[in-house]
Amino acid sequence: MQLPAQQVAVLEAASADEAESVDALAAATDLPPETVTGAVFELEEVGLVAVAERVDETIALTDEGVEYADEQLPEVRLYEAALEAGGDSDPVQMGRVIGASGLEGPQVDIALSNYARKGYGVIDSGEITADPDADPSADAEANALETLSGADDAAVESVDVDADTLEELERRGLLERTESTVREVTLTERAVTELMAGLETAETVGQVTPELLTSGEWEDVEFAEYNVEADAETFEGGNVHVLRQMSERVKDVLVGMGFQEMDGPHADADFWINDCLFMPQDHPARTHWDRFALEQPSHIDELPEDLVERVERAHREGIGEDSEGYHSPWDEDFARALALRGHTTSLSTRYLSGEEIGEIEPPARYFSVEKAYRNDTLDATHLLEFYQIEGWVMAEDLSVRDLMGTFEEFYAQFGIEDIQFKPHYNPYTEPSFELFGTHPTTGELIEIGNSGIFREEMLDPLGVECDVMAWGLALERLAMLTTGAEDIRDLHGTLADLEFLRNAEVTY
Amino acid sequence: MPTVDIDPDELRELTGREEKSDDELKDDLFGLGLEFEGLTEDGEFELEFAPDRLDRLSVEGVARSMRYQYGDARGVHVPSPNSAEWTIEVDESVPDERPYVTGAVIRDVNLDEDALDSLIQLQEKLHATMGRKRAKGAIGIHDLTMLKGGDALRASENASGDEPRAGSATEGASTIQYVGVEPDGDRFVPLDSDEEMTPATVLETHQTGQTYADLVSGYDRYPAIYDDIGLFSFPPVINGRRTEVSTESRDLFVEMTGTDQWTIDKMLNIVCYALSARGATIEDVTIAYPDHELVRPDLSTKTKTVAHSRIETILGIDLDPDEVIDLAERSGLEATKSEDGETDDESTITPLEDRDGLEERGAAEGSETSQTTDGTASSGALVYDVTIPPYRVDVLHPLDVIDDLGRAYGFNDLEPTYPDVGTVGGRHERSRLERAVRTQLVGLGFEDLLNFHMSNEEENYERLEIAPGSDAYGAGEPATIKEPYSEDYTILRTWLLPSLMMVLERNTHRSYPQHLSEIGFRAALDDSENTGVGESRHVGAVLANHDAGYEDAKARLQALARNFDVDLETPPTEHPAFISGRTASVVIDGEDVGIVGEIHPKALIEYDLEVPVAAFEFDLEALR
Repeated sequence: MQLPAQQVAVLEAASADEAESVDALAAATDLPPETVTGAVFELEEVGLVAVAERVDETIALTDEGVEYADEQLPEVRLYEAALEAGGDSDPVQMGRVIGASGLEGPQVDIALSNYARKGYGVIDSGEITADPDADPSADAEANALETLSGADDAAVESVDVDADTLEELERRGLLERTESTVREVTLTERAVTELMAGLETAETVGQVTPELLTSGEWEDVEFAEYNVEADAETFEGGNVHVLRQMSERVKDVLVGMGFQEMDGPHADADFWINDCLFMPQDHPARTHWDRFALEQPSHIDELPEDLVERVERAHREGIGEDSEGYHSPWDEDFARALALRGHTTSLSTRYLSGEEIGEIEPPARYFSVEKAYRNDTLDATHLLEFYQIEGWVMAEDLSVRDLMGTFEEFYAQFGIEDIQFKPHYNPYTEPSFELFGTHPTTGELIEIGNSGIFREEMLDPLGVECDVMAWGLALERLAMLTTGAEDIRDLHGTLADLEFLRNAEVTY
Repeated sequence: MPTVDIDPDELRELTGREEKSDDELKDDLFGLGLEFEGLTEDGEFELEFAPDRLDRLSVEGVARSMRYQYGDARGVHVPSPNSAEWTIEVDESVPDERPYVTGAVIRDVNLDEDALDSLIQLQEKLHATMGRKRAKGAIGIHDLTMLKGGDALRASENASGDEPRAGSATEGASTIQYVGVEPDGDRFVPLDSDEEMTPATVLETHQTGQTYADLVSGYDRYPAIYDDIGLFSFPPVINGRRTEVSTESRDLFVEMTGTDQWTIDKMLNIVCYALSARGATIEDVTIAYPDHELVRPDLSTKTKTVAHSRIETILGIDLDPDEVIDLAERSGLEATKSEDGETDDESTITPLEDRDGLEERGAAEGSETSQTTDGTASSGALVYDVTIPPYRVDVLHPLDVIDDLGRAYGFNDLEPTYPDVGTVGGRHERSRLERAVRTQLVGLGFEDLLNFHMSNEEENYERLEIAPGSDAYGAGEPATIKEPYSEDYTILRTWLLPSLMMVLERNTHRSYPQHLSEIGFRAALDDSENTGVGESRHVGAVLANHDAGYEDAKARLQALARNFDVDLETPPTEHPAFISGRTASVVIDGEDVGIVGEIHPKALIEYDLEVPVAAFEFDLEALR
């Protein structure tokens, strides 16, 4: 009979009279236990060995159990402190006793909850008594801890502790039971016959080698079987950051919808960030508390003079006879001050003005997915730096219906249907809408963007003579909605947990 | 966004809709753009609103809007004030920084607890919004019976030491004076106090005074209002106790001071409308400036001319003129049809005189499409003269009227359409390059990171032992944040390596190897840029493992260089963050654009790392 080498080795090490454990066979054959186990199962299959299984239960103290074995159970310490304080004659203040016992933190609760149960005394209205008849040295749990403290992974049968006490210790988390399956192997009669007839070792091959292939030997060999179900080693390949994946996805969608991408400065003049947007200079969002103004450098060198003049006039007088402008101060020095852009709409104003890539002729669609900076409180839904999706469509005679249709189409790409449009106010758009969508999993109505048709007072100074509708939203918010992430900080920044990034689900 | 507290019972009473349940009210309020945030401790609705309709900052204004919404009110209503008995005389001594004042007298007001609370809330909310925290406009409301009118000569004496002027008030009328006083020029008892103090003392010791001290502390003279008895108001800081309003008050004197006449006049209108809704009578006040006189409140309406075609374009639907007029009335406006020819031409054509092509445009489009982009129309087209009530502060342009019409129509009743406009989409070149390099890095096994652009000097320079402005790679002078609130975020990072090291530092409990990369924004001062800030993207990478070394980093750099078909050289260099003799400049196509090497053990210790780290960083543009 021909058998693989490890099976032959196991058969030769096993006996027909005495059951041998897998570990013992592994020691005898000098093979790893898992190889022996595999060989044993294969031999059992062909009826050469009989396998008996039994479950061994071992017990060991937990770290907490070891601690109490060393320095007594908390309730015993409490009892001794209560005795010391005279609690055997009169009830004493519990706080004082706890102090004297040296118990701290969760140990106090543990002591109190076991104290009365074990008859050490009574705890009532903040006072404690100690039963003079109680005897810590007869405490079954304490004694069991002592017994077990020397015996690691002892078989249950071998320790001299009653089952109830073991159960109680386990309930208190002081003891852990471990079950292990022990397989014992005996040779069958057939095996004995085969052994006497003589066994041959069949050649098995672990690895396909160049030699094996070129020599043609591969035709005669048997390939060792693998446990193909076992987990392989963890492999950490590279991943594109989850938020980048989301940003790529958004860019794909927008490019597919005919949008061109914009790019431009992060540190920019307030003129481009706010004044060109027809944001009055005394608007609360332009105060120190919301923006990251720059100390150095503090001002932009140059702004297009004629544009500055037109923007200032729009702020002061409005556009057209029936228009009023703002009753707010306007100062060029304030407009020239630099800040980290609070929204990427500064890119839109630069592009619309013709300053960035020259005059843009309608129809046109532009977008960016870039960082904006806002001086907000850092929490689960707000970051100081976030990615803003910004987009606009320029065409003759756009209506709010076009705006609604465009945004419904965009959000539908991310599975967000039933967009609602809540009329809203922005200084630079009219009409304006906050966009609400239904969360795909929770069904909640959630704000997912802000939109509107740019005002005449904004577009006219920029030299735009047709309609422009625009919208913006935070990429992080879209990512949270579509990935179900709950804390924005997991997604973004140096607090990143590699484990989170390595395990993040791919977005496509 | 701001919030306003509204008592639902009062809302039911003022709208006359007693039958409305709380939930129905919430829905109706949402329709107005007032979002229910929750209940206050007193069971009032806390409503969040967008800061345009400041006439809805109190229950009276919200009730007015709801009556229009329900169709219980239509068109424009303007209260008729009685003629002026009181004059506010503005003295030459008034501080230049706060020259404007306005006012009104309110008679026969029934101020129960609710009405008084509502008035106080309205005052606070107006301060917070239009008043720009009292800087632009501040409101003082006084019990009129406590005021004694006169020519207030005493005030002038105290004010500036000038020769007393003769009172300019009309014979028989009562006059109070708006003046400037020396910081310690007079004394009065402010609200919430029993002590007489000078304005300067108020700013130092009174709680409200301390809060608003910044508004006036730079003035030479402080604003003050006097009646015949003496100083009774110290705007914009605090009123005197003598004229405090209570539920017993029947007649009120309202004054407002500020930096802009229009702003305080509009704030005054909103207050007058709110009190008028409570049944009070408004009475004019004469404002006597040194060189001119005004009668206030200014309850005149404004007219905007709105083109029918523009309404249809913006809403994307066809409308009958009667429908437009109906929508206007339901918005609390009034619209009358008018052919464009009947109105003044000047008011309906956008002045585009400084723009090329205007004449051709006018000639070519003439009578056909006929509208200009600002919502007005050129000759012959149907337009509406729309009357805007005096409490509206948000109608700057005819477009704002169209928004009102759309709201009344119901924007959500409009059918969305996808605009039939073809455009070609595409990515910016920089963004395509970034994506291509990122794909390569991930293929080389790097975990792509996304770190903050803001940092601080310690993280950006000190922990890696480089000095700002030194020759070391990454050590550019930083763009700095003005008055930062957090010491963690005071500059824009000048390079990426510190961010990557921080991520290694926070992940020492995670398995190795840790190969991290980032293609990220960085910035440093650069005089040649218009903004003074040179912004660019760097490619940064770290390899942390028990056997990581220079070769590992260089091998990956070489792979990148090969794939982007650029020429890579790595001549030796020195850098404080790297081990001497194991550091090289990254020279791509002959230009020195980065650094590669093994991180110095001192830095490894600094970041609590127990494994070697090899790293490289270079300018993304070098691969272009």
